[in-house]
Amino acid sequence: MNKTIRKLAYPYYGWLYLLAIVPIAIMLVLVFFDIEGIGFSEARYTFRNFALFLEPSTLEAFGNSFLFATTATLVSAVLGYIVAYQVFRSRFRNKFIILTLFILPMWSNMLLRTEALGNIMERHNIFTDLLGIPGGFNLRGTGLAVLIGLVITYLPFMILPIYTALEKIDPSLEEAALDLGVTEMRKFWKVVFPLSIKGVITGCIMVFLPCLSGFAIPEILGNGNIMLIGNIIEQSFRNMSYNLGSLLAITILFFIFGSLMIVNKVDKEGGTLI
Amino acid sequence: MKKVIIELRDVYKQFDDDLIVNGINLQIYENEFLTLLGPSGCGKTTTLRMIGGFEQPNKGEIIINGKIFNDLPPYARPINTVFQRYALFPHLNVFENVAFGLKNRGWDYLARFFNQEEMEKEILKEKEAGGEINPKVTKHDLKKKINEKISEAVMKALDMVKLTGLEKRKIDQMSGGQQQRVALARAIVNRPQILLLDEPLAALDLKLRQNMQYELKEMQRKLGITFVYVTHDQEEAMTMSDRIVVMKDGVIQQLGTPKDIYNEPVNRYVATFVGESNIIPGTYLGKKVAFLGAEFDCLDYPFAVNEPVDVVIRPEDFDVIDHEKAKLTGIVTSSIFKGVHNELLVDIQGHEFIVNTYENYAVGEPIGLKVDPYEIHLMKVQGNE
Repeated sequence: MNKTIRKLAYPYYGWLYLLAIVPIAIMLVLVFFDIEGIGFSEARYTFRNFALFLEPSTLEAFGNSFLFATTATLVSAVLGYIVAYQVFRSRFRNKFIILTLFILPMWSNMLLRTEALGNIMERHNIFTDLLGIPGGFNLRGTGLAVLIGLVITYLPFMILPIYTALEKIDPSLEEAALDLGVTEMRKFWKVVFPLSIKGVITGCIMVFLPCLSGFAIPEILGNGNIMLIGNIIEQSFRNMSYNLGSLLAITILFFIFGSLMIVNKVDKEGGTLI
Repeated sequence: MKKVIIELRDVYKQFDDDLIVNGINLQIYENEFLTLLGPSGCGKTTTLRMIGGFEQPNKGEIIINGKIFNDLPPYARPINTVFQRYALFPHLNVFENVAFGLKNRGWDYLARFFNQEEMEKEILKEKEAGGEINPKVTKHDLKKKINEKISEAVMKALDMVKLTGLEKRKIDQMSGGQQQRVALARAIVNRPQILLLDEPLAALDLKLRQNMQYELKEMQRKLGITFVYVTHDQEEAMTMSDRIVVMKDGVIQQLGTPKDIYNEPVNRYVATFVGESNIIPGTYLGKKVAFLGAEFDCLDYPFAVNEPVDVVIRPEDFDVIDHEKAKLTGIVTSSIFKGVHNELLVDIQGHEFIVNTYENYAVGEPIGLKVDPYEIHLMKVQGNE
């Protein structure tokens, strides 16, 4: 029985090797060559990519990525916590419906959603057309537009783990805190928040990682003005400069694995990941 | 005259359409160990939670120290609670758990709690001993002193529950019995006037539970705190309580000392819930009672002559006598050796009686029984029970 079930996983293993592990291995090799595409006939062993890596434009993109990812994560954490806490506290019977509402936008295509958001951010957008009011200002193409896009897109990833963590807190702990003489505010900071911190950390990483490596949102909402590392990787591969692209991608992977290890450590049972 | 510390006046509590507490009147005295006893769903926990401030009564008043406390939040009451599943904070260690109640209080509260004047004196003394001339007490000094005092109080509380040396432990590294003790220490460190305990021993095994019963009683005596204890275990209630409140369906059935409740249950419900008993229908004849075709002497009861009554006889109150001399005779239908005594089931005119005796009887043997007048307890007959 067990063996048969295990056999069912073989296609997935094949998939995993073919589309994840093999490409990573190839990228690891490509890092040390200077070639166009993946033609190994003229391959030359070199460290030139590492020099490119240290170019100001690349470093700036890295800096931008971290700046935007960090800011978006912090903003999402604050907003996400407030939302999750409100849902947790609400007397609404079927909280699952509220949570579904938050996830609902994720069921439509991200590119379309982002494009629509970009339209709203323009001076003349669908609302000014429909309502016949003069346009105010153009947000599209600015850093703020990218930040808003990142937060709107990834906020659900923050809300869900925080909500799950809050829901797991034994209600008698809150009663115990009140019983021991603390006020509602202190109860929150001394009991509820520390016990939900796992969910916050999980949520932060779930938001931070896609913000760090993504390229579609800065591309669409930033009008190409804002260069994140994801954009550089995308351009490198598009320009057949696989070597630099590989190096940058591997670097990002390094951060991703690091973050996942943090999640593993904080949340051993995986309780806050849905 | 004992001082009343808590008074419940005509208290009702309703959840949706369920009337959980149905008009309770109760006075709880200072320094007493009072137990709310009843099966699950009888409203005892809800009553406790209303005293603790976790639920508000729909009607009636909860008076503590002469003031109406109905709407006061839990933190404003001179009360601490030991919760059923302990409710210890998993993110704090044992010391931090116990210190929680004091650490999170405001300056004024702590200055009063530890007596500011005395602390100032102590600080001055220490400073003089350290060779300072014209020492002054700064706020910083007081803060330090308060922290010292909190640590002292926590260690003392941990000592009281015999957990010295475990203060750095994480909660999940403690056994159920130890967690129970942490919960106790966390409550008593705040020196509450009233301690509420919601079935605190329910999760412990029998031996540990019995030990804790004695310790709790001992602690209550030493601390001079009013304990309000909730349990469904009648033996637990008997062992520890000064007074017991037997509850059913949100109504108090009987309030009295363990002895009263056991010896003079007011109705069938109390008689069967507290200990084992034999209940037979009879007729009151004025200092005499007739049942099973014979007349027995009994004490004086405020019943009318010829009024039907329920007769209660505890299994251990039967005396075994010669078959010929006995008014009550029956056949032994079962005999179980219980260690100290034998538990017999005796069939008397079709009624089954439980009889505890040291004598040995075989199944099928005839047996003669006698009951002393003061062992016969009469109760008013209640219609639907």
